[in-house]
Amino acid sequence: MSDPVLLQSVERVLEDVCTHESIQAAEQSGWAPEIWQALAGVGLPWLGLDERAGGTGGELGDALEVLRIAGRHALPAPLAETGLLAGWLASGAGLSLGSGPVAPAPVRPDEVLELEGGRLSGRASRVPWARAAERIAALARTGQGWAVALVDPSAATLEPRVNLAGEPRDGLRFDAVEVESWAPAAPGVDPAALQYRGALTRVMLMSGALERMSELTLEYTAERHQFGRPVGRFQAVQQYLVSAAQDAALVGMAGRVAAREAERGPARFEIGAAKLLANRAAHSATRAAHQAHGAMGMTREYPLHHWSRRLWAWRSEYGDELAWSGRLGREVAAAGADALYPTIAGGSAAGSPRDP
Amino acid sequence: MRFEPTELSDAEVALQREVRAFLAEELPRGSFEPGLGMNGAKDPEFSRKLAARGWVGMALPRAYGGGDRSAVERFIVAEELLRWGAPLGHHWVADRQSGPMIHKFGTEAQQRRFLPAICRGELSFSIGMSEPQAGSDLAAVQTRATPVEGGWRVSGTKVWTSGAHYNDWFIVLCRTSDEDDRRDGLSQLLVDLRSDGIEVQPIPFLDGTSHFNQVFLDQVFVPSELLLGRAGAGWQQNASELAYERGGPERWLSTYLVVEQFLRERAGEELDARALELLGTATAQWWGLRQLSLSIARALDGGGAPAVESALVKEMGTRFEQDVLAAVQRLVELEPAAESESLFERLLVAAVLSAPSFTLRGGTNEILRSVAAKGLRT
Ligand SMILES: Cc1cc2nc3c(=O)[nH]c(=O)nc-3n(C[C@H](O)[C@H](O)[C@H](O)COP(=O)(O)OP(=O)(O)OC[C@H]3O[C@@H](n4cnc5c(N)ncnc54)[C@H](O)[C@@H]3O)c2cc1C
Repeated sequence: MSDPVLLQSVERVLEDVCTHESIQAAEQSGWAPEIWQALAGVGLPWLGLDERAGGTGGELGDALEVLRIAGRHALPAPLAETGLLAGWLASGAGLSLGSGPVAPAPVRPDEVLELEGGRLSGRASRVPWARAAERIAALARTGQGWAVALVDPSAATLEPRVNLAGEPRDGLRFDAVEVESWAPAAPGVDPAALQYRGALTRVMLMSGALERMSELTLEYTAERHQFGRPVGRFQAVQQYLVSAAQDAALVGMAGRVAAREAERGPARFEIGAAKLLANRAAHSATRAAHQAHGAMGMTREYPLHHWSRRLWAWRSEYGDELAWSGRLGREVAAAGADALYPTIAGGSAAGSPRDP
Repeated sequence: MRFEPTELSDAEVALQREVRAFLAEELPRGSFEPGLGMNGAKDPEFSRKLAARGWVGMALPRAYGGGDRSAVERFIVAEELLRWGAPLGHHWVADRQSGPMIHKFGTEAQQRRFLPAICRGELSFSIGMSEPQAGSDLAAVQTRATPVEGGWRVSGTKVWTSGAHYNDWFIVLCRTSDEDDRRDGLSQLLVDLRSDGIEVQPIPFLDGTSHFNQVFLDQVFVPSELLLGRAGAGWQQNASELAYERGGPERWLSTYLVVEQFLRERAGEELDARALELLGTATAQWWGLRQLSLSIARALDGGGAPAVESALVKEMGTRFEQDVLAAVQRLVELEPAAESESLFERLLVAAVLSAPSFTLRGGTNEILRSVAAKGLRT
């Protein structure tokens, strides 16, 4: 599915640029241009995008695996946003992205932007790194359906905000702002599709974060001694180690299966189920990891918070537990009892609901 | 720890379809009282029919009556039976662990003697590990086999032996010599449950049914050709037997039917937000656990030994079985009755009364967490 050589080199690049200090500094300043440069220098933000649209080629699956690695490293940059979200919107509409960071808007499912006569109006909140974006890729409603518009964020009113992890999530208000370019969205690209795709990016980031958090907790509890032995030898602590590893394994699997299915089609069942599992794991795994770390986990000087805070933040982005369990629940209920197991076993590809 | 995503091949999907069609035809809904996962009823007739399709002992070699099929194919058949509530009790243990154990450690003669009958769905097995003083700490078994002319004399007491009151054989973990390390000097014997000197005393199960037993062995003669594997290697062999018990779909499907039947009996009604939340969440969890479990089966086919992975999955799968049941109970305002017209209620009764066993049988969750934690450290 994914190219191992590529993934290894990504691992090296991110290991280099995402240090405890550089992540802290990026949070302080709100933007780390040198980290972005390092990613852009090797074309990472545009991986999985059509080369005609300024992408670096590669498969969607590669780009998603890269996000998992980004999650492992708590990468403080709009990697998911620029390529997989904004780039997907733009390239589908035949627009070219440019070489800077781009943020997709809107993010929240209840917000709608309007495009009329080449002018964009409306509010978009929680837009990742809008303050640093060279452009905003807006999915906007027109009289003729959905369109993608590229717009200079300095033309909008920006309200700086951050999420629980200190990552920029800015508010943008567009008052009939003239867009740089626009075109009808590709078939099938609508706000729902954007939500699913956004959720998939968060699943991959979260799965990387859960993996790293589990490893970090194993490492710490092997080194920290109390009562003359490593605390990881206490059964009560082992319970947390196992629970964090289970969450990492479950979400890692869910993310990779969802990514595989997303290369074949909309994969709505898999993405929804995976985001729901990731959101739930964000609670249980952070709780286990923090408990096993004792007070050490509560300081910004120790790195656990890079992952725990991101997990808390990402669980509410692109659909929290309530949103996804409600949606999945309605679908399952509508399909009926006989279709339940075929869905569990077959996912989006499950045959007719009446499959015995 | 390594879980590789995998999916069913076209041939595997075809098998899945075949099994579904067979069950719909053989056991249409409403024609039988479904059981909860591996607590499914014992029905030798059904097991024989299944075997006639090649679906019992299917992963054993053809030479011994098996089908040379893969662990994944066995997984597919098992999951469909479990989620249907099919009466798999007669062949379940033989198919899952006794057959594979006899194949792995048994002599040629033992394989010829037992495997074809297992694969025909005829021979049933119980598990003879636990004793009154040896639960989680299996190395403490006191049942002793003393060498005599032509074999062994076995005395001791096994407990919690599921199905010993109606099964044919069991594999008994017993002490054959005393060594410095308690784990040495243990052996496994194939013992006919109808041998002279065996007394099976039912232990009433919590739900009022007969499920497990105390089995007293008093000077039971076991001919030497029924020693399984090597004398003294019982501990290692037993550990590998336990591995067959872990990580499969029976570890997260025990309460599946309760939810499916809830949905069936509420068809046409507007479900409230809490019910939808439960359905959505449980479905996602079944899906995720199934992917992990399937990945274990695939790893087995690739020659792997995913012991840590299996412990992780069994531990979280069985906890989930209990959680989802509790969630259903919180959803319905109901005092469920075993005599109810509603199958949902009857399944709920059975589930509530057996749920505590999910996290005990086959190794408790505490033990599984220790196994997993050790594996994670290395
Ligand atoms: C329905 C059912 C069917 C069964 N069928 C069979 C069968 O067919 N054949 C068979 O051989 N056995 C069978 N068993 C027995 C089963 O394998 C044992 O129940 C299980 O191994 C635990 O042993 P125990 O019940 O003696 O509990 P104990 O070992 O006494 O444990 C009691 C509690 O202490 C905990 N504990 C024990 N040791 C440790 C430790 N080192 N660290 C942390 N916690 C610990 C346990 O986790 C548990 O919570 C069955 C059990 C059930 C419930």
